[in-house]
Amino acid sequence: MSVTNLLDNWAAVRHFHPIDDKPHDPYKWAMAIDLDACIGCNACAVACYAENNLPVVGREKFKHGQVMHWMRIERYWDEDGRDYPDQGFQFLPMMCQQCEAAPCETVCPVGATNHTQDGLNSQIYNRCIGSRYCSANCPFKVRYFNWYDYPTTENVWPAEMNYQLNPDVTVRGKGVMEKCTFCVQRLRAAEVTAKGEGRIVREGEVQTACQQSCPTGAISFGNLVDPESRVHKQWQAQQVDLDKDMQEKNQKEGGSDLRGYRILEELRSYPSVMYLERVRESAV
Amino acid sequence: MHRYLYFPVMLAGFLMAIGCYAATDQQPTLTTEDDLGPQIQQPIEFPHYRHAGNRNTVDLTNSDPTKGGMEINCQYCHTYARRSLTAGIPPLQKCVGCHQNIPSVRDKPRIVELFKYWDAKKAIPWKKVHDLPDFVRFNHERHIKRFIEQQGRPVQEVCGYCHGQVKEMTTARRQKPITMGWCVSCHMKEHVVVVANKDGIPEGGTPLGKQAYWYTFQKPAETKNAAGELTAKGPNDCWLCHK
Repeated sequence: MSVTNLLDNWAAVRHFHPIDDKPHDPYKWAMAIDLDACIGCNACAVACYAENNLPVVGREKFKHGQVMHWMRIERYWDEDGRDYPDQGFQFLPMMCQQCEAAPCETVCPVGATNHTQDGLNSQIYNRCIGSRYCSANCPFKVRYFNWYDYPTTENVWPAEMNYQLNPDVTVRGKGVMEKCTFCVQRLRAAEVTAKGEGRIVREGEVQTACQQSCPTGAISFGNLVDPESRVHKQWQAQQVDLDKDMQEKNQKEGGSDLRGYRILEELRSYPSVMYLERVRESAV
Repeated sequence: MHRYLYFPVMLAGFLMAIGCYAATDQQPTLTTEDDLGPQIQQPIEFPHYRHAGNRNTVDLTNSDPTKGGMEINCQYCHTYARRSLTAGIPPLQKCVGCHQNIPSVRDKPRIVELFKYWDAKKAIPWKKVHDLPDFVRFNHERHIKRFIEQQGRPVQEVCGYCHGQVKEMTTARRQKPITMGWCVSCHMKEHVVVVANKDGIPEGGTPLGKQAYWYTFQKPAETKNAAGELTAKGPNDCWLCHK
């Protein structure tokens, strides 16, 4: 592409937002996580391991940063001068943010990661050649690489444990990248059922594994396009828009008492996960 | 010049020869341009033509198996196709359910074999004929819903799009390539969007130009063919089959 062509057709090359010219209809899967409700119990992470055939890598590989937790609980200590037992902290469940303009997609040399029409960031294992460029370009560091052939590694799925593997999800081999899929196997099943019945997926009909297992209901997941969905209402109540890189409420004088925000929004990757900020002791 | 080239050229040729040998050794031999799969030996030589084949219209009482079938709906035995990803193999119960009431063929060698399994309370170890790789999750349900339930096409024709003329076979054999390129060749065509539902109820999703679109999970751009009919392509989302 020549520079003149690039400049002449700039509008076609650079969209302000990918959904400007092609809005999501009828599905856009999105999430909202209430950090105030999150108690850091790790049930979501465990549910993800069970649902998505994630290998448990063990202490040594964990130390090398080769852990495969698609859903991880990040822990942030409060820097308020207090020492450990009294020191405050908060949890932040972190998984693939299913960015609308995903940085990982543009750098994949083989097109193994793409945007789907219902607003997901797909990862096609059989297409992946393991260049790991996507992981390098991911601002959230939520992509995980299979450094080992886990299905044949000792003690990952010992004999008979392989019967607990989810048949709807590929068991990944060595040399492919993987990440949170928003439990795409469940979404697709629900979409296909709904389509066969001539309707769209209803609110509450499909849940992700993490949402299902959350004891405090901190995670809500649903179709952002559907005005009846809980996630739509939450995004609207918090005045967080999918197609903005800076939410207007931030610009108000004296800040805002709304809690919704998206992580690293200013990078213009337009994440599909909204977090609800924790109400801190100091702020009350 | 030639002396320098001699060894690399020989080496390349040698490697190619090994590669070709390995390739032909691993892949099933494709005998026709319609990509016939290998003939797979099944535990019982199940006659598809006898069950699903066309009825002998000349002599309805003719019981010669080579001259007519029962025209049994494919979905009578492969009952999971219309409600799940997989078409499924019928349980032994289904075979016996009919055959215990058909005494005329009870002493035929295949039926004797069938009842041996039944008496031993063992499942018949059928072998997979249309064996897709583990990372492919083809959805039977969607295709049955669209072609048979919504468009009302004949069952055997619809199944035959991918499975070939099973009604003329004994044990099934792969007749189509069933490769991704082959699947996509159909999905990339512009198909006319028609409402064939008998009650006039549009199927699935948001209507496009007062009609339903079947094809994608997102509303496609309106396209029209030369005759002015609305057309749409099949889904091209990788995550439909690979996940």
